[in-house]
Amino acid sequence: MADDDDLVALIDNELDESSRNALLARLAADEGLRRRYDELRAGGAAIGEGLDALLEQAPLERLRATIPADEPVRPSSRFAGRGLWQLAAGIAIGLLAAGAVAWFATSFGLLREQEDWRSAVAEYADLYTNETFSPLHPDASLQAIELSALGAKVGANLTPENIALPGLRFTVAFMLAYEGSPLGVIAYVDPSGAPVLLCIYANRAADAPLRSERQDDLSLAWWSSGGRSHLVIGRIPEDRAVALAQTIEKRI
Amino acid sequence: MEEAADPSGAMSEESRREVRAGLEPSLARLWRYALVLSRARDVADDLVQATCLRAIERADQFVPGTRVDRWLLAILRSIWLNEIRSRRVREGGGFVDAEDVLTTDGAREIEMNMTASAVLRAIGQLPEAQRETVLLVYGEGYSYAEAASALAIPIGTVMSRLAAARAALAKLK
Repeated sequence: MADDDDLVALIDNELDESSRNALLARLAADEGLRRRYDELRAGGAAIGEGLDALLEQAPLERLRATIPADEPVRPSSRFAGRGLWQLAAGIAIGLLAAGAVAWFATSFGLLREQEDWRSAVAEYADLYTNETFSPLHPDASLQAIELSALGAKVGANLTPENIALPGLRFTVAFMLAYEGSPLGVIAYVDPSGAPVLLCIYANRAADAPLRSERQDDLSLAWWSSGGRSHLVIGRIPEDRAVALAQTIEKRI
Repeated sequence: MEEAADPSGAMSEESRREVRAGLEPSLARLWRYALVLSRARDVADDLVQATCLRAIERADQFVPGTRVDRWLLAILRSIWLNEIRSRRVREGGGFVDAEDVLTTDGAREIEMNMTASAVLRAIGQLPEAQRETVLLVYGEGYSYAEAASALAIPIGTVMSRLAAARAALAKLK
């Protein structure tokens, strides 16, 4: 209806001045038109509020996890130029992850309490040597894919940039599970090859500030935020573990 | 005056940076647009994901300094029209008559203003062209001229779609 179009444009302040004045003059003289104006105005009153309510329902964590970590890798070039050593590294990562899952499956059954996950990770991390991760040099696109997949599992947006740590080289990222919840492990090595792990456990924990402790020769620094618990662990000084944790805490 | 040597490289880098920086702040609005178009939450999730991927692939085409949020909304619409909706129609699946998709879950609805909830449900029953125009103008703040340009339709059509939507919503009262 032509009148409806103009009335709505008037309500939305979209009429030019002459059309606006002409319509206002008609409204002043026509009670039926005024009634229609009121109806249309009321009809749109809560549209903005309703649409804003939809924004609040957006599954942000899930959507955030789907943002590609970096330039998408085209399948045609994805494996091009990957040498045998890279294939070997891939197999090693697979075996490592499979072994870890098996180990976790057996060991973690003994550790019922949710808060024991740190101790369980510490036992696990204690098995790593300077030779575990240092031979691995996966290409950057593979690393980005791993991080993105891990991030999707634990509900965090992870990129090579936001998990980069000073003085450490990121090697591989892989998924484990503890008590049925996803536990992502991001493994780094220092220049000597010593492993440092960043673990992200999607355990729906309440937010908790950064704390640290020593367990034998391992330093642990952990905090919880966004429904996840985070742990930095390695054979490094405790204050270094805390500094690394603070760096990550600010970014993810 | 000589032009700067090879400005395109710097421009591409700037484009990519702006696109990447613009993705996360736009996620909720992209998802809302996707949900208003598709009226299916699983499709909305997929549509946002495809939009992010496409945006990064085509970041070089983004003109730095322009509105990245609207560029992303346009990509989402293009994927919806050209790939997802057309495929569903071609496969004969169509969409369920999801009159209650644009609403809230039960728990939230109790907390929420009931008027807004009823309006959402009513918007969900409008034809797609009206839903989309309502979203762009009343949700995203497009002017009539901007909506006409985004939807490639005359301003008069924007006006009649909005008037029809408001008239339908007015009947709720």
